[in-house]
Amino acid sequence: MPQPSPLLKGTLDVLVLKALSWNAMHGFEITVWLEDHSAGHLAVDDGALYQALHRMEERGLISAEWGITENNRRARYYRLTAAGRSHLRAESASLVRYARTVMAILAERRA
Amino acid sequence: MSRLRIVLARFRGVFGKNRAEREFEVEIRFHLEREIEKNLALGMPPVEARRQARVSFGALEAIKEEHRDGRGLRWLDEFVADVRHAFRGLRHRPVLGAAAIVTLAIGIGANTAIYSAVSAVILRPLPFTDPGRLVMLWEENPEKGWHLNVVAPANYLDWKAETPAFKDAAAYFAYPNTLTLTGSGDPRVLSSYSVTGNFFSVLGVRPERGRGFADNETWRTGSRVAVISHRLWQAQFGGSDAIIGKTVQLDASSYQVVGVMPASFRFPATDADVWTPLAWDPAVRAQVFFRRAHYLRAIARLKPGIPLAEANAELQVVVKRLQRDFPATNRVMGAGMTPLQAFLVGDTRTPLLVLLAGVGLLLLIACANVGNLLLIQSTERGREAALRLALGARRGRLIRQTLTESLVLSACGGMAGLALGWWGAGVLGAMQPGILPVDHIGISWDVVGYVVAIATASAMLFGIAPMLWIGQREPGDVLKDGGRGSGASRRMRAWRRGLVVSEIALALVLTVGAGLLVRSFQRLQAVNPGFEPNGVLAVSMNIPGARYDSAAKITGFYAELLQRVRALPDVRSAALVSSLPLTGGVGWTSDFTAAGRGPDGYGTEVAHRSVSPDYFRTMRVPVRQGRDFTSADALGGAQVVLINEALARSYFRGQNPVGQRITFDRVPDSSSTWRTIIGVVADERQAALSTSTQIEMIQPETQAPSTFTNLVVRTSRDPLSLVPAIRATVKQLDPTIAFNSAQSMNEVRDQSLARARFLMTLLFGFGAAGLLLASVGVYGVMAHMAASRTREMGIRIALGARASNVQWLVIREGMLLTTGGLAIGLALALAGSRTMTSMLYGVTPTDAATFVVVPAVLVMTALTATWLPALRASRADPMKSLRTE
Repeated sequence: MPQPSPLLKGTLDVLVLKALSWNAMHGFEITVWLEDHSAGHLAVDDGALYQALHRMEERGLISAEWGITENNRRARYYRLTAAGRSHLRAESASLVRYARTVMAILAERRA
Repeated sequence: MSRLRIVLARFRGVFGKNRAEREFEVEIRFHLEREIEKNLALGMPPVEARRQARVSFGALEAIKEEHRDGRGLRWLDEFVADVRHAFRGLRHRPVLGAAAIVTLAIGIGANTAIYSAVSAVILRPLPFTDPGRLVMLWEENPEKGWHLNVVAPANYLDWKAETPAFKDAAAYFAYPNTLTLTGSGDPRVLSSYSVTGNFFSVLGVRPERGRGFADNETWRTGSRVAVISHRLWQAQFGGSDAIIGKTVQLDASSYQVVGVMPASFRFPATDADVWTPLAWDPAVRAQVFFRRAHYLRAIARLKPGIPLAEANAELQVVVKRLQRDFPATNRVMGAGMTPLQAFLVGDTRTPLLVLLAGVGLLLLIACANVGNLLLIQSTERGREAALRLALGARRGRLIRQTLTESLVLSACGGMAGLALGWWGAGVLGAMQPGILPVDHIGISWDVVGYVVAIATASAMLFGIAPMLWIGQREPGDVLKDGGRGSGASRRMRAWRRGLVVSEIALALVLTVGAGLLVRSFQRLQAVNPGFEPNGVLAVSMNIPGARYDSAAKITGFYAELLQRVRALPDVRSAALVSSLPLTGGVGWTSDFTAAGRGPDGYGTEVAHRSVSPDYFRTMRVPVRQGRDFTSADALGGAQVVLINEALARSYFRGQNPVGQRITFDRVPDSSSTWRTIIGVVADERQAALSTSTQIEMIQPETQAPSTFTNLVVRTSRDPLSLVPAIRATVKQLDPTIAFNSAQSMNEVRDQSLARARFLMTLLFGFGAAGLLLASVGVYGVMAHMAASRTREMGIRIALGARASNVQWLVIREGMLLTTGGLAIGLALALAGSRTMTSMLYGVTPTDAATFVVVPAVLVMTALTATWLPALRASRADPMKSLRTE
C-alpha cells in the first residue's frame, strides 16, 4: 500500500459529512469508512476527527446520541441533519469545482 | 443550533464539566478498543497493537484538552479557574487578604452610606405625578432684599388665571400651623397646613380614602373640612373607614374629615398631620393687604411639552401687568419659578456633595493602601510569575489572573462595604437633625449599582500596579537575581513612593475639609445669642381661637397663666414671647417710619415680636435705655414699643430713640397708628446663631395679642423638671390646651447648632479614617523600604556609623515624600475648599489656622510612621543583616 497522505486542510469536514450521508456512524466506523473508500490513500488523524465532529455538532450540521453496537457496547452515533445535508451538497460542489480547476491548470503542458 | 443554544451549551460545558468529560472519555476509549481489535485482527502482537492504536490516536491528553477547550467558553473557563486561584491565594495569606478587605470595606461602606443619603434626598424623584412638570413660584423684591420669597395671595391668583402655560397652580400657607385635636382622648397637638382647594390635584396625588378638597373650598364655604394624614388616621382613629364624614374638634371648632392621604404623601413637611383649606373670605379678594401680605408658597403644574423658559416668559408678562396696575404694592415686585425638586433640595445639595467628595477621597486612600498590599504580594510572587512566563504562559493570561484577583478582593470588600454602609445609612438617617427632608435612608437598587460600580473601579485602580508590574518584568531577570534585582527594585520603589505621596496628598485634602468644619463649628458655638439660655424652660402652645375670640379674652388668659406660673415653687421669673430666639422665625416684617422724618425717611424689613413684661429679665437680655414693659402697658392703653440695639444703631444713629414715635407704615396717613418708643434692648439672634440680628420692634403682648405663644420660665432647678407642674397649671386653667413642645433654651440652642455639628462630626470621622488609613499605608511602605535597606544599614553600622545616622537616612526619605505629598495636597485643598464656602461660618475657605494646623498634624503622623520602622531597622544586628541575602 502506498504511504497514506494527510488530508488537505478543510476537507475533513466534508468527507465526514459524506460518510454520514450513507449511514449514522460512530467515530471508529467513520475512520474505517474513510480508509476503505480512499483505498488507504488518506490518513485520518483521530484527534482531528473528533475535533471536527465536535465542531460540526455545535454548528448543527450533525447530531449525536448514544447507542448500542452489535457487540452490545456503548458508542456515540453521529447522523446528518437537514442543515448538514445541504451543507454537504454545497461544499462538495465547490470542492469538486476547485479540484477540477486545479487539475486543469496542473495538467497543462508547456508547448 | 441558534447562537443562544451554542452559548448555553458552552456555558453548561464550563460548569457541567465532569459529566461531558466523562462521556467523551467513554467515547474515546471505545474507539481505542476498536483500533486495538483491528490491529490484533491484522496479526499484530498485543503490545504492538496497543501501541499502534495509541499512535494513531495521537496524544490522548492533548485531544482531551482540545475537546475541553472546544466544549466550554475558554475565557469563562479560565475566569472560573482564576477566581478559584484567587480564593486559594487569600486563604494562604489571610492577614494580607483581611487587611485589604477591611480597608476596602471601610472605603466602600462610607461611600455607600453617603450615596444612600444623596440618592434619597437629591436623586429620588418627588412622589407626585409627573414631578418634572411642577415648579415652585416665588416673588422677589430687590429693594428689600427678598429673593425666593413667599407669595402674596392676590398675586398668586392673578398668575394662576393669566399664565396660559400653567395647567393649574396651587398654594399653601408657608408656615406650619398647629391645631389641637380635642374630644377624643387627651388633647393632641397636630401639625397642620392650610392649602388651596386644588392642592392635591395639582400635585397629582389622590387620597386613599374619601376625597381631597374642591376648588371652591379655597374660599370660605360655611363648613369646615379637613384631610388627615395616613399616620394620624392609624394612630388616632384606628385606621377605621368610619372617619370619613365624621366631625372632629380642632382648636375648638368643628371640622368634617373628608379624606385620608396615603402614607407616602408627606408634603409640605414629613410631620404634616392634617390639611385644611385656606378658606379665604371672598370679600378680601380686592383688598390691599391681600396683595401686600406675603405668606404663601405657590406650586404650578406646567402644561405638557412647555419648557420652563417659555412658561417663565409668560409669567413675566403677568408680573409686568401687576407692576403697572398695582404700583402701591407691586411696583418692584418680581417673580420667578424654579423646578420643584431643585427648590426643595436647595440647601442640602452642597453639604451632601461635599460629604460625597470626602468619602470619595477616603476610598482613593483605601485603594492606594490596597494597591500597596498587592505590590508586596507581587514582589514575592515574582519568581512564580517568571517561571510561568518562561514555561510559555501567555502574559495576557497572567495579567488577567491578576485582574481577577483584584476583582475578587473588591467583590469581598464591596459586599462587606455594602453591609457596613447599610448600617451606616440607617444610623445616618436616625441621627440627622432634620437637615435632610426624608425621615429614613435605606439601601435601594441604585445604591447597590453604585457599590458595584465603585468596587469595580477600585479594583481597576489598585490592580493597575500589580498588572503593570507583571506586564513589564522579563522572566530572565527575575530568575537570575532571585527576584530582587536592582532594576525591579528601582521600579518598585518608584511605585511605592508614588503611592505614599498620593496618600498623603489625599489625606491632607480630606483633613483640611474636616478642619474647616471644625473651626466653623467652634466659631458658631462661640456666638453670643444675646440671652442667657441656662436654666430657662420654653413651652410653646396654642390657645383655641374659637373660644378666645377677643383680645380681652386672650390677654386675660395669659395674665392668669403668668400669675399662676410665677407662683410655682422654684420659678424665678416667667414671661411670654411670640417667637423664641434661635428658632428661625422673625414673626412678621413691615416697613416703618418715625415721626418727623421726611417721605424718604422710612425703613423696611423690621421684624416684629410681642412679649409680656419680664421677658427680658427672664432671658437676661439687658435693657440698654429706657424701660421694659410693665402691666401698665395694657390693652387699649397708649401704644408703646421697644426697639433693639440693631435698629437703634441703624435708624436712630446719633439720636435718642426713647420718646420718639413710630408707625408701621412706609408713608403714614390718617389711619396709621403711632407708637411711642419706651426703651432699647440688647440684640438677640432671632433666626439662628449664624444669622446676624435683624432690626426689630417689640410690642407688649397685651397690645398685639396672639393665640400662639411661648412661655419662658427661668428656674433654679433643671428646666425640664418643671414641665409637669406647668402642664398641671395650664390644665387647671383650660384642659383643652396641649403643649406644642417643651424644651430648655439650651436644647433650643443645641438644635440651632445641630446641623453644623452633624456635618462636622461626619467629615471629621471621615478625615480621621482617612488619616488612619494613610498613616497605616505610609508605615507599611516605609517599613518595607527600611527592611529592604537592612543590608546597607548593616554595612554602614559595621563601618562605624551610629544608629541615629542610619535612622536619619530612612527618615529623610520619608520626609521628602511627605513634603511632596503636602505640596500637592495643599494645592488641591486650596483649589477645592472654595466649594465649601456655603457651609462655613466665620472662617474663610483659606483659613490660615486650618491650613497650618492640619499639615502639621499630618507631618507629625508621617514622621511617626517613618520613625518607627527606621528605629527597628537600625536596631537589627549588623552581622545578621550582613548575612541576609
